[in-house]
Amino acid sequence: MAVAIAVRVRYFARLRELAGVEVEVTHVSIGATLADAYGAAQSKHPALPPRESVRGVINQEFADWSATVIDGDEVAFIPPVSGGA
Amino acid sequence: MRYDVVTGPIDPRELESAVSHPGAGAICTFSGIVRDNSRGQSVTHLDYEAYAEMAVPQMRKIGDEIKQRWPGARVAMSHRTGHLEIGEVSVVVCVSAPHREEAFAACKWGIDTLKESVPIWKKEHAADGTYWIEGDAAKPVGG
Repeated sequence: MAVAIAVRVRYFARLRELAGVEVEVTHVSIGATLADAYGAAQSKHPALPPRESVRGVINQEFADWSATVIDGDEVAFIPPVSGGA
Repeated sequence: MRYDVVTGPIDPRELESAVSHPGAGAICTFSGIVRDNSRGQSVTHLDYEAYAEMAVPQMRKIGDEIKQRWPGARVAMSHRTGHLEIGEVSVVVCVSAPHREEAFAACKWGIDTLKESVPIWKKEHAADGTYWIEGDAAKPVGG
């Protein structure tokens, strides 16, 4: 059985409201990708939207869904941005 | 250089002071203002939310790229979060450069890029309901 790692997951804006949580610790397998972490998030929070409308972030940098997460990473799932006026 | 996410009012003059220097013959300041309508509906107010720990480094990246593309430019950016009323300043991008052409071009590129890559979101309180704005889309809250 794979040993789990822990990542801190943050949600923002509409995703925060759909998840019902701002931040949580999620356990994923060693070698898990950002896509796997989002899958785990969707299992916990079924209201989260499909991945196609979400961007993934690792340690405050936009990342590809295929990027590997490591123990202690801060992961964020965010909707399309809309800053400005 | 100044890059920040703030919860209180933004004074564009402070950002202009931050980029001003004797070699800068032009300062271009973009101020984004909360307006009273959107999508044909009247808007009462906005709430902005930021991933501040990422937003500030993203602003700095935009500023660094401006300085590469337009040598001699200096940049300041500030975005406000929380509850904003109609007419209040939500964002300021300020660029100084030797001449006006670079200042205008760099300032426009700066605000356009900020709107694409800086993790900040607006929630619009409109006559027909409350919406999260996501890119060009409006998603009803609770929907």
